[in-house]
Amino acid sequence: MQPNLISRIPVLCRLSESALSLVAGLLGALLTTGFAIWFLKAENEYVIGFLVALAVAVTLSVSRLGGLDHVGRAFKEHEKLMNGAAVCGVLALAAVFREDHFTLLMISIVLLYMLAGLGLTIQFGYLGLVNLSGASFLGVGAYTSAVLLAHTAVPPLLVLVSGGVMSALVGCLLVLPVLRTKGHYSAVVTIAFAILFMSFLQVNDTLGGPQGLATGEMALFGWGFNTGVELENGFYASFYLNYLLLALTLLVIAFALVKRLERSWIGLSMDAVRLDETAAACYGLSIARWKVVGFTLGNFLIGMAGALYAMMLGFIAPANFSFGDSLILVSIVLLGGIGNPWGLAVAAAIVVILPEKLQMIQEYRFLLFAGLVVLVLLFRPDGLLPRGMRTYIPGGGARS
Amino acid sequence: MDIGLLGQYVINGLMLGMMYALVAVGFTLFFGVLNVIQFSHGDVLMVGSFVGYTAILALAAIGIDNPVIELLGALLASVGVVALLGALIARYLVLPLRSSPPLNTLLITLMLGTVLRESVRLFFPDGSNPKRFPALLPDTAFTFGNFTLRVDSLMLLIAGLLLIVALHFVINRTRLGLAIRAVAQDEETAMTMGINFRLVVLLTFAIGSGVAAFAGVMNGLYYNEINFGSGLLLGVIGFAAAIIGGLGSIYGAILGGFLFAALQTIGSVALPFASAYKDVFAFAVVIMLMAWRPTGLIAERTSERV
Amino acid sequence: MKLSGMKTVVGMTTMVFALGAGAAQAKDTVEVAFIGPLSGGVAANGLGGRNSAELAVELRNQDPDSKYHYELLVLDDECKPNIGVQVATKAAADRDVIAAVTHYCSAVAMATVDVYHRFKLPAVVWGAVLPDVTYGNEYPEVHRVNGTMINQNETAAKFMTEQGYKKWVVIHDTTDYGKGHNEYFSKFVAENGGEILETFGVSSDQQDFTAELTQAKALEPDVIYFGGLSPLGVRLRRQMEKLGVEAQFEGTSGIVSDAYLEGLGDLAEGSMAFIEGAPIDKLPGGQFFQEQYEAAGYSDPAEAYGPFAFAAMDLVLDTIEEVGPDRGKVLDALGDTEGKDSIVGDITFDEHGQNVVALITKYVAQDGEWVVWEDSEYASGQRSLVNVQ
Repeated sequence: MQPNLISRIPVLCRLSESALSLVAGLLGALLTTGFAIWFLKAENEYVIGFLVALAVAVTLSVSRLGGLDHVGRAFKEHEKLMNGAAVCGVLALAAVFREDHFTLLMISIVLLYMLAGLGLTIQFGYLGLVNLSGASFLGVGAYTSAVLLAHTAVPPLLVLVSGGVMSALVGCLLVLPVLRTKGHYSAVVTIAFAILFMSFLQVNDTLGGPQGLATGEMALFGWGFNTGVELENGFYASFYLNYLLLALTLLVIAFALVKRLERSWIGLSMDAVRLDETAAACYGLSIARWKVVGFTLGNFLIGMAGALYAMMLGFIAPANFSFGDSLILVSIVLLGGIGNPWGLAVAAAIVVILPEKLQMIQEYRFLLFAGLVVLVLLFRPDGLLPRGMRTYIPGGGARS
Repeated sequence: MDIGLLGQYVINGLMLGMMYALVAVGFTLFFGVLNVIQFSHGDVLMVGSFVGYTAILALAAIGIDNPVIELLGALLASVGVVALLGALIARYLVLPLRSSPPLNTLLITLMLGTVLRESVRLFFPDGSNPKRFPALLPDTAFTFGNFTLRVDSLMLLIAGLLLIVALHFVINRTRLGLAIRAVAQDEETAMTMGINFRLVVLLTFAIGSGVAAFAGVMNGLYYNEINFGSGLLLGVIGFAAAIIGGLGSIYGAILGGFLFAALQTIGSVALPFASAYKDVFAFAVVIMLMAWRPTGLIAERTSERV
Repeated sequence: MKLSGMKTVVGMTTMVFALGAGAAQAKDTVEVAFIGPLSGGVAANGLGGRNSAELAVELRNQDPDSKYHYELLVLDDECKPNIGVQVATKAAADRDVIAAVTHYCSAVAMATVDVYHRFKLPAVVWGAVLPDVTYGNEYPEVHRVNGTMINQNETAAKFMTEQGYKKWVVIHDTTDYGKGHNEYFSKFVAENGGEILETFGVSSDQQDFTAELTQAKALEPDVIYFGGLSPLGVRLRRQMEKLGVEAQFEGTSGIVSDAYLEGLGDLAEGSMAFIEGAPIDKLPGGQFFQEQYEAAGYSDPAEAYGPFAFAAMDLVLDTIEEVGPDRGKVLDALGDTEGKDSIVGDITFDEHGQNVVALITKYVAQDGEWVVWEDSEYASGQRSLVNVQ
């Protein structure tokens, strides 16, 4: 009995460690949700300042104590559970703020930016393709949905998909220069495209010119999304809840897809292409093929996000899709930690909600925001949540 | 087309190209030594023009109104302050990020650009409105038909040319230039040869930013107007020019600058459709050029090392 | 600027203290919103509007006879439609906000009308000039105190042709502001028998106009018409001089600002521009506004549309005083506004909520100031515009 038990100690330890990290992970998810509710409700400038400081202090101290590693492990080892917890967190937010139009709108925007960020993650997280025209592809999707909803009877769900397809097709125009160039050279191709796209929208009157276009609403099975829910018993939910739930659904699907992709041989090939093209080619990988696949898939996701974004806002104009907005998308991906979809969640929330909460300081808020990003990059150069090592066998992290 | 008109377009284009070239040279210098893109370069130029402007105001406040002294004062202050700014950017923002992905440098300098821009807008007195930059150069003009040649434009063009020649001299004929070229070619070998890498990087950033400051003052003298927002687009164009010329080659950057100016001029003058499409045209050509020559017109001479 | 920041903070805290005091006097607090571009390229106009609206609220709070204590919620739309929709939703969905004074940029105003309608928030536009903001919809929520670019260009075209000008070159920025001005001005010039030789669209951050101006010069126009805002106007006028383009410079309401005059110095002399509304410094209310604005010590000037923001806010506050802090009642009362006295002249809303502006004021830059045409030495014949036939 005795020796047998001793031999089992490591197994027990591992189990308990794994359980510990699960607890840490769930606790983290719970705390984050609670914090998000508090932060979103805060209106007073001092409260907001205090909350930002609190978040920084707690994150720093927990990370000192190794707590973040546990959370990270939880995401790795109990992925399904943790994903579920994250979705529940968003749903809890949605339930708490169901009557609050503005907060729901902000959360939906965060979700859509995450969706677009996933597209960019495939492009430069996995493949190393720099895309500085993310907002332009968002714009292609948005304008596609505006035009289709106004002039055709295409069902809105199909419009969403067409937004993505259109964006992928427009991306094909750039495929040749993007394939042939590398690094900073391909950055300039996409920058040129971003500027070109916006000036084109501004001077082209058939697409509404600088004034922009009104966009129709999303509808599913005859249910118009621009109608809120009001029940007899006094239950009321803002119409933005519809958009939030749809955005969440799209995001979950895309997230599952991207995670699956990352783990599959496709993701492995993409990583190989990013890390060393020459070596990858030596092992018989077609560099061009993977770049085209990744670039197109990424643009598809961005375009779809754009299509829903347009329907939700109800109005789009060229100024929404400027080079500056592309940079905002890129900063989300970089701040989160390139290649880590979870980092996107944190970064998108910061980039979208923080400037809004800084409305108090009015004209000074951009200065402060830019300064904050500089500090984050200086002190966490790999982003807030860097991408972890690839686990070749799911759940195998504990064994290594 | 009438010859006078053509001449006018050429001289306008040259002036514009000189400005772009001086910005592009900075991008190329920084890329040479550190393989990074310093995206706030356009805003650094804008800061340069505001420093020059402040210097002129300060000189006027103490009663000096001799245009030559004012000009020299503006140039000295602007180049000095901005060279220091460039070195500080290198020291505190760019060098610490050496080990992280190159995109981070791009983002951090971009955000720095926003910080510079917003700071000037908020903290310079009435900074959100355009400022009138005093005309310090003689404003005599010669007119031949449709062609107007102004002495001040000509002087600026020559000054720009002289600066480029001086830069060429520094890079190719001095020990510092040798060190810069050595670091650009192979940083590790350069360090084993006893070159102080950090110092070279800081000096390169100082030189590149100084050139931008000079261009900023030039910009002010040419347009007689400066504003806080002028840096962003100038930075993007300078970057594009450096890229189409071929990063790392000073001559490529100059070529790229003039080429981009030519594209914009052709776009607004010679195209059959409205001139509003000129930016669409210029950037579309840039994309096509990149597809044709993926590493720029004057390609970097590097081979893939495995 | 640093001082102004301090001032805002001080202003905010005094407002908070005043709030405490107000509670003691049992005055209910009513919240109203101001939205405009506080950051980015047109921030100068947004800040001028913000200060003016703030001034209206502060003056009202100092008035012992007012029934309520007012609190101002200021939001920045960055002159971007998507951000505009966000902040408009924030203001409109907040039940405590009774009414809002909104938007300088037309594209933003266009994007947000649906939001105000959906949430039934009474909104009074203070700066956007695109006709469709009021005329493009049937929403009772949307009002506008300033006139549209239709009124402005009708007068401008008529007046300029009367001076004997025949040939124009139009340069406009490719934003909705510039494009709209180009559209209406070209239409009215044609109706008055003038000719547009060529039209150039330029981007709103363009620095160099030499290519366009060289072409314009070869066409030998009498007038260069510019549809755009001050920063671009300054550059364009300056470069006209550099290239020796000898034509009268005619702008739109966008250049009626101190920034234009300061940016150009002597070169501004003789520039023409038109703005909707009565000449502000001539009305008693206008002088009062200018005095108060100076006394408040704002470091940013009110700019051309500041008085409109003040008038819009004042109108909103008057209406709330009258019918009480209830969105529905305020909406009804606002719609019925007729012959209401304000610092920009009488305000009467038509069925679209558009102020029917009887008057367009013509301005000419003279000795570093915008002078009403009728009072200028240009009208009296002591000076003359360029190329007058």
